[in-house]
Amino acid sequence: AMAGVGGGNDFQWCFSQVKGAIDEDVAEADIISTVEFNYSGDLLATGDKGGRVVIFQREQESKNRPLSRGEYNVYSTFQSHEPEFDYLKSLEIEEKINKIRWLPQQNAAHFLLSTNDKTIKLWKISERDKRAEGYNLKDEDGRLRDPFRITSLRVPVLMPMDLMVEASPRRIFANAHTYHINSISVNSDHETYLSADDLRINLWHLEITDRSFNIVDIKPANMEELTEVITAAECHPHQCNVFVYSSSKGTIRLCDMRAAALCDRHSKFFEEPEDPSSRSFFSEIISSISDVKFSHSGRYMMTRDYLSVKVWDLNMENRPVETYQVHEYLRSKLCSLYENDCIFDKFECCWNGSDSAIMTGSYNNFFRMFDRNTRRDITLEASRENSKPRAILKPRKVCTGGKRKKDEISVDSLDFNKKILHTAWHPKENVIAVAATNNLYIFQDKIN
Amino acid sequence: MEYKVEAHRIMSISLGKIYNSRVQRGGIKLHKNLLVSLVLRSARQVYLSDYYGGVCFSAQQVESKEWELMDAEQNKLRPAAEEGPAPQKDAGLGDATPVADEPTSQPQADGESPAGAQQPPAEADAETGGTSPAGPAEDQTGGGGRALPDEAGTPGAHSCPTRKRGAEKSHHACSPQKRTKVTPTPDSSGAAEEPEEMETGNVSNLITIFGSSFSGLLSKDDTPPASEGEDGDSGSGQICCDQMLKNLNPWTTAIVAF
Repeated sequence: AMAGVGGGNDFQWCFSQVKGAIDEDVAEADIISTVEFNYSGDLLATGDKGGRVVIFQREQESKNRPLSRGEYNVYSTFQSHEPEFDYLKSLEIEEKINKIRWLPQQNAAHFLLSTNDKTIKLWKISERDKRAEGYNLKDEDGRLRDPFRITSLRVPVLMPMDLMVEASPRRIFANAHTYHINSISVNSDHETYLSADDLRINLWHLEITDRSFNIVDIKPANMEELTEVITAAECHPHQCNVFVYSSSKGTIRLCDMRAAALCDRHSKFFEEPEDPSSRSFFSEIISSISDVKFSHSGRYMMTRDYLSVKVWDLNMENRPVETYQVHEYLRSKLCSLYENDCIFDKFECCWNGSDSAIMTGSYNNFFRMFDRNTRRDITLEASRENSKPRAILKPRKVCTGGKRKKDEISVDSLDFNKKILHTAWHPKENVIAVAATNNLYIFQDKIN
Repeated sequence: MEYKVEAHRIMSISLGKIYNSRVQRGGIKLHKNLLVSLVLRSARQVYLSDYYGGVCFSAQQVESKEWELMDAEQNKLRPAAEEGPAPQKDAGLGDATPVADEPTSQPQADGESPAGAQQPPAEADAETGGTSPAGPAEDQTGGGGRALPDEAGTPGAHSCPTRKRGAEKSHHACSPQKRTKVTPTPDSSGAAEEPEEMETGNVSNLITIFGSSFSGLLSKDDTPPASEGEDGDSGSGQICCDQMLKNLNPWTTAIVAF
């Protein structure tokens, strides 16, 4: 059975690997902006602010090196997006990769979608380990042979070569979004996908780049009446007609594409009534949902707002079935966090493969895991200090008041520049990838 | 009236963020600007909630006075983002009299509960240990014609009633005498139009303070916080002012009662 959360004797997380520069001076372009395992978990993709995609591949476990259980090594690196300039609007378009989503594998090649603020690209990553040799018309360096010197005909032969992994852009889906793209999601039909910006959601066919269907449009006729924006969207994992999108007001709408061409009218509306006693200047900001993820089962979905993670049963719209506080101690610091812009940080969340645990990030390079069955939670830290191979991660604790115990850290000592916004959980195993600024940490469960 | 100081500070910070968002790479982020504008609107609501404490002044009087004050403070203006952390626990605020805090007489066209506006600042100030202003039991109807209470009991507690002075730092510069003169209060019996006029004046002052920057904000692309790029000429300060004005009003109706 797949356990998720530590604490006690049953389960512990260990350091496995860390990727990225150790240098204290972090180049902005190296900051990781998205992390995603593929469907098998053998590939792990990261995107960064510089528009690059780095794909890691898991080594096959071998009897020769039993302890290096499935290490991830660089498989392919390519520049997905470049900075662009929209001359019409005098706007620079950032090359930062907002999201990567893998397509299910259908042949030897791997496909993924990567997107920046405006353009989505379908990349094909394929291996080449053979090369044809013995051409008639050109010699081995590629120079053309003089046709008059060719006296005999031969059939080129495939010869092995050093493995080369090539990434090539197969489709470019551009010019469909006026606002900034925040989400892409591949549909379970494996033919279509959706892309969402602040005000609109479009449905694409993977083969067709010159048009897309607009399925949600919340732009008001008069922009002055704008009160909420779309913050995230995802297709249902099994029902290809269903998708959800979250809003800056803390609501989630579930839509059925069979109901109408334009899904402005939701089928379900998920909202938890606000607790009036906790109202503040910043209530609206902290209720804005930064991520929404369906469970693998398709029965639940999880939303992340600034201070908490909530699990919703799709059959119950009026409140979540579970709420987990990520860093409630920040509630009294909201004004400072507003000043330094941290309150706008968009944390993501993820499920483990069996949906028994969920994970999300926090500050000070802390990340949190919640076991839905045992209700246990744990706080762990991604740091170079805990980077000895197979070192067991020690649970961390934030002191919220009163005397600070040994090993606890006080709220005021937290480093708000070290934020973990992106995490990913292997679809089948207890392996997690945690992006800490420009470093990617990989942790896995203890090998007994 | 710690909450008013806090509200003012938050307004300044918010305006600074909106201003800075124009020069950020990648263009104006609609989501963030929307959230900032919501905070700005809330803070402004709270900040203004005491203005209509009953005294009625002519718009012209107020306007000219505000221009005076603004000129005086022009050189103090710096982008709000550069402000340090707010002074916590300002002295003497603990004894703000409930009467002085009366926010109720602000005639809102949308009928929001001004008393409710008192609550959130208290929450937001939890970190400062701020005093909770008068609770929701306040008189909602407001006192028409009530003179501004003598604020002598709360020295330095009020910032100048120069609303939305961008990043001005001098919270305590005004004497009570000056303040009563400047407070732009319409007839508190509820002329809904007058508060809006006041806002126009202040907004145009703001626009002037920030120079042409706001015009860029509203016209440059189609993702401004609240107005369309195609809504009129770009670059015109007057149009921005109007745009800002139009922007601010509908949001007050969208707000959930504090």
